[in-house]
Amino acid sequence: MESQPNKQTGWCNGIAVDLYSGGVGKSCLLLQFTDKRFQPVHDLTIGVEFGARMITIDGKQIKLQIWDTAGQEAFRSITRSYYRGAAGALLVYDITRRETFNHLTTWLEDARQHSNSNMVIMLIGNKSDLESRREVKKEEGEAFAREHGLIFMETSAKTAANVEEAFINTAKEIYEKIQEGVFDINNEVCCTFLLNLAS
Amino acid sequence: MFRSRSWFGSGLWKPKNPHSLEHLKYLYNVLAKNQIVSENNRGLLVETLRSIAEILIWGDQNDSSVFDFFLEKNMLSFFFKIMKQKCGSYVCVQLLQTLNILFENIRNETSLYYLLSNNHVNSIIVHKFDFSDEEVMAYYISFLKTLSLKLNAHTIHFFYNEHTNDFPLYTEAIKFFNHPESMVRIAVRTLTLNVYRVEDKSMLKFIRDKTAAPYFSNLVWFIGNHILELDTCVRNDADHQSQNRLSDLVAEHLDHLHYLNDILSLDIEDLNQVLTDHLLNKLLIPLYVYSLTKRRRHSQLEDTKPHVSSVVSLFLLSQVFLIITHVPLVYVLASIILTGDMDIFSQGASENLVSYRVAQGTATIKPGFVAPTETLEKSLESSTTCSIDSTEHETPQHAECETGMDTQVGDSEPSAVAEDGTVDSIEAYVNITDEEKEQRLALESGVAPPLPLAGTSSGNSSQQQFLANKPFLEMIVNTLQCSENDYAALFALCLLYALGHNPGVNRDLLDGILFLSGRESTKHWYSTLLAERLIRIISTSCQPNCRVRLVTLELSIRLLTQLVMKNGQSYLHDAHLAAVEGAKEESTCLLRNFYKSEEIFLDMFEDEYSEMQKRPLNVEWLMMDSNILLPPTGTPMTGIEFSKRLPCGEVERARRAIRVFFLIRELSLMLAMEPETQLPLTNPQSCVHVNNVLDLNNSDLIACTVATKEGSKIRRFLVIDVIQLILVEPDTRRLGWGVAKFVGFLQDIEVTGDKDDSRCLHITIHRPLPSGSSTNRVPLLSARFIFDDHIRCMAAKQRLTKGRIKARQKKMHMIARLLDLPSNVQPCPSPPAYTVLAHRHSDGTNSRSRLAREPGHHRPLFTANNKVPGFATVAMRRESLPPGRMASPAKIRSDSQERHARNGHVVRSREGSPRLPRPRSEEIPLEDMGSKHKPRSGVSGTPSPPTEVNNGASQFPLKRPSFPSLYPPAPVGTPEPPSPVAVSTLESQVAEVETERPPAPPSEETSFTQMPFENGVLDKEDRKTRRRGMVETV
Ligand SMILES: Nc1nc2c(ncn2[C@@H]2O[C@H](COP(=O)(O)OP(=O)(O)O)[C@@H](O)[C@H]2O)c(=O)[nH]1
Ligand SMILES: [Mg+2]
Repeated sequence: MESQPNKQTGWCNGIAVDLYSGGVGKSCLLLQFTDKRFQPVHDLTIGVEFGARMITIDGKQIKLQIWDTAGQEAFRSITRSYYRGAAGALLVYDITRRETFNHLTTWLEDARQHSNSNMVIMLIGNKSDLESRREVKKEEGEAFAREHGLIFMETSAKTAANVEEAFINTAKEIYEKIQEGVFDINNEVCCTFLLNLAS
Repeated sequence: MFRSRSWFGSGLWKPKNPHSLEHLKYLYNVLAKNQIVSENNRGLLVETLRSIAEILIWGDQNDSSVFDFFLEKNMLSFFFKIMKQKCGSYVCVQLLQTLNILFENIRNETSLYYLLSNNHVNSIIVHKFDFSDEEVMAYYISFLKTLSLKLNAHTIHFFYNEHTNDFPLYTEAIKFFNHPESMVRIAVRTLTLNVYRVEDKSMLKFIRDKTAAPYFSNLVWFIGNHILELDTCVRNDADHQSQNRLSDLVAEHLDHLHYLNDILSLDIEDLNQVLTDHLLNKLLIPLYVYSLTKRRRHSQLEDTKPHVSSVVSLFLLSQVFLIITHVPLVYVLASIILTGDMDIFSQGASENLVSYRVAQGTATIKPGFVAPTETLEKSLESSTTCSIDSTEHETPQHAECETGMDTQVGDSEPSAVAEDGTVDSIEAYVNITDEEKEQRLALESGVAPPLPLAGTSSGNSSQQQFLANKPFLEMIVNTLQCSENDYAALFALCLLYALGHNPGVNRDLLDGILFLSGRESTKHWYSTLLAERLIRIISTSCQPNCRVRLVTLELSIRLLTQLVMKNGQSYLHDAHLAAVEGAKEESTCLLRNFYKSEEIFLDMFEDEYSEMQKRPLNVEWLMMDSNILLPPTGTPMTGIEFSKRLPCGEVERARRAIRVFFLIRELSLMLAMEPETQLPLTNPQSCVHVNNVLDLNNSDLIACTVATKEGSKIRRFLVIDVIQLILVEPDTRRLGWGVAKFVGFLQDIEVTGDKDDSRCLHITIHRPLPSGSSTNRVPLLSARFIFDDHIRCMAAKQRLTKGRIKARQKKMHMIARLLDLPSNVQPCPSPPAYTVLAHRHSDGTNSRSRLAREPGHHRPLFTANNKVPGFATVAMRRESLPPGRMASPAKIRSDSQERHARNGHVVRSREGSPRLPRPRSEEIPLEDMGSKHKPRSGVSGTPSPPTEVNNGASQFPLKRPSFPSLYPPAPVGTPEPPSPVAVSTLESQVAEVETERPPAPPSEETSFTQMPFENGVLDKEDRKTRRRGMVETV
């Protein structure tokens, strides 16, 4: 890397959690962000559950780790730990399928019960490129986010619109909390993301 | 089938369609030509690896020849070759990610088997990557975890080699069980669980024989050190400075317990035996249980053995019993705590518990919290390479003994355990040793006969017997004394609760201790000592300024009812019952001090009630809260929930008194087996609900148009009931009937006129929502009501304003009755909140507010509409607070609480309703505005005659709640110091039950602001003469 990595570089862990059946685009988002190669062209679906990338905030390099926890709900201790270990979570729904939006409340309750109360949660309405098939209005997503104190964005893993911004804004928010001392620096987890993936 | 030419035309680096066999062939060539990693080809290799993964997945889903080619050329071996060179993390990471994606996405079983078949994967697993690189570590462990998710009875053979006794996937992974990065640890735990759940006998035998002892002993050591750290954190943080660190440590402990429970719940007998053995003898007994004794004798010499404070150990043991349900483990642990003595530390669990046969198998290790002799890595090396099984002789198998017990593990009903486990558990008691018999005798002698025990002193001989030679139980019971505060007592209560609710703890063990005795000889006896300790906590809670938190009180009550009740029947002795009734009296007295005509008192009262109904104590959640590990505090600035800290300021003292009153009232009713008939103040059954069809012949109806901010306009008829405001639309089927389209409580209403339009009112109806969950601050309805003319508008305003006052007044009377308050504390009606705000600082000098300004009364502790948490008003209690101190964070809301639920959809259904034809205004005659002025109740101490309660509502075909008749006039609010409350001893309380306690008038200490009164609001009274509202139906 060209710039000398800052000594205070930390890992930002994030998790992606699956609400429901899948298919909202978590994996595509993850790949789009960590590995620009895999774009959902040719209808090839690639599952991936982990990715890492370095970003720079305030001149400081921060490593983001993103974990998709889909398919690991069999053990209570594991779900619990994932929620807890993460500094941030992306709650993803598919704007072309209302049922994925309707499940957000359940997921959120679950997350709030298990997670660190400081976990930064970003709500993402994915597949914004499919405007013609939209079932959930942008305003609805905004209202939900406002009501529950989440950050909100609509993204497209296909066109890459807002993908970068979504992850980086979440990371920024986490970083601010670290600066405020809300997250314990001694804690090895600087910044983990859960990709919930509310699919 | 596939094209040889890319039809995307973007062939900068891709010579072909990226998803084709040709493309893979091309990539193969790239790999073949670049077998040596160099600075120059690094980037190319990474791209190539990425593309290979992509094309393989495509092939898996679309074209099997792709995979065939990959296997034919043994391309995986290239991966391995690259890896073996010091290729640097850039390439390494891509390699691992490619493998990860590959294994995660291959759906075709045959393809997967091929990928696994040539042992390359195992070579990759055992490869020594540069694990000091965080990124490599993360991708590596993630790869192993992905593989573990693919394990099943077939694939397991690719990873576990029976002949060489080799299982690198598992043994490599567990070496990272204590990695500093939590995500790595989680991945390891996930992997182990995924391995254990594969049903393969020989693999599990390998796990047990070769890895279980080393892994579990290291794990247990790791957990133990963690709690030593936790203990240090608690010791050094009396000032709540490191809440975050502490909460992480507590959550980590919970993670560990959940993980252990997940393993134990897989029900793998052999494995569970080893794990239980290690947990009991190397952690729970020598560290947790041992530490219980660490407070009893302050003179105790410095202890060199590792231990934590007794508070921490109570907390941790509570967590253990709340989470872990494995019968052999919790049974043995519970027996030790309830009946064991100090010998346990020298002899181990087995000798004391021979009766429990399972314990024989488990207790083979001498108890002691000591470090494993070698690192896990070392032990794994030696145990998997040398043929001598080091663990075999250490843990003899008693599989056949355990079978019976293990079937119980899944049972969640405690009673089921006793019944199902007949063979083992009954035998366990029949076959008891002398020592055990002695213990049981001692135990039973501590159980009280079902006769009143005079004096109920806790020092009598049977009580001493009860605790004889049971240092742990003695410690728990003694901790229940809240001498200074309830810090440790809360945890003792939690532990008792957790013991009583663990499905794996045999009921026999708790007989007479935590539950009524069920044995013939001692039927319905209970431990008087415990009951008295609990009652002591309950009565202490009723003292002003006591140091018992609400959560402690609630838990004590719960344990007491559990102890003395069975099937809804109470077996509490009269003396004890008298003490409880005494406490109830005291709590009533305490609350009387706060009873005021103050507007906010009613809102608080209802708010606290619904909050308590909605959120009963959840001990599991309580035990997840690290904050309670720090000494109790009063300040809300710690962010600690109200019920888990002491009250801060006058408002919170009032809230606390309200809750104490509710809790003890409920207990008293329950013991008397009486239903609650007076709470909540609003009976939802007697309210009008949306879509109810109402007979409005004879009711006052005011036509209006409701205009919302969103721009909708709907024609409705306004009906003002005793407690509700109802908007109806005419029922098309029956003349004179209407359908309720919106309902709101009059007590939550805010009405203001419109400066520009005399036909308009702005009406806001607040949502009755508990302050705790105030996420939704949107009012139930906020709209402009347009009436036909100025007169009707004025009439509506008056009736609404008056309705609000009366609704509140009635509830205040109901509260007075609950508090056995005679008429001398007549609440004054209060003006609407907005009026209060408008007048508080301006004039407020009209004649009716005279009382409010009497010395000692005008104390605006509350700003009615202030909803900002953390906002503090200046304390007015000069006499008790040092100047400059903050008090009473005004979190109080002006809108009140009652039923929730119906909200939301109400508005929606209103919007959806069809517009009404606008009736001509002449059809709704106005009431005679000038008639019958009446004296206003309360304002000048004059009671309102009961007849006034009646308005249009009595004609509704619905049941109305009947309100208590009003009290005769009496002087209001003579300042008086609070009546001294007797120091709580059981004896004195018993005595007090007989004598009627005089009601405490409002005290100086606790006075709420008397609201200034808006002039003119009440000028018009309820009409005696009422004309029928005629509704023209469509
Ligand atoms: N049009 C469009 N399709 C997308 C987008 N994101 C994902 N998809 C498609 O949605 C499907 C599911 O995506 P995936 O990432 O596997 O969802 P996951 O189950 O949540 O991981 C795939 O067919 C993707 O190609 C997007 O932003 N726009
Ligand atoms: Mg996925």
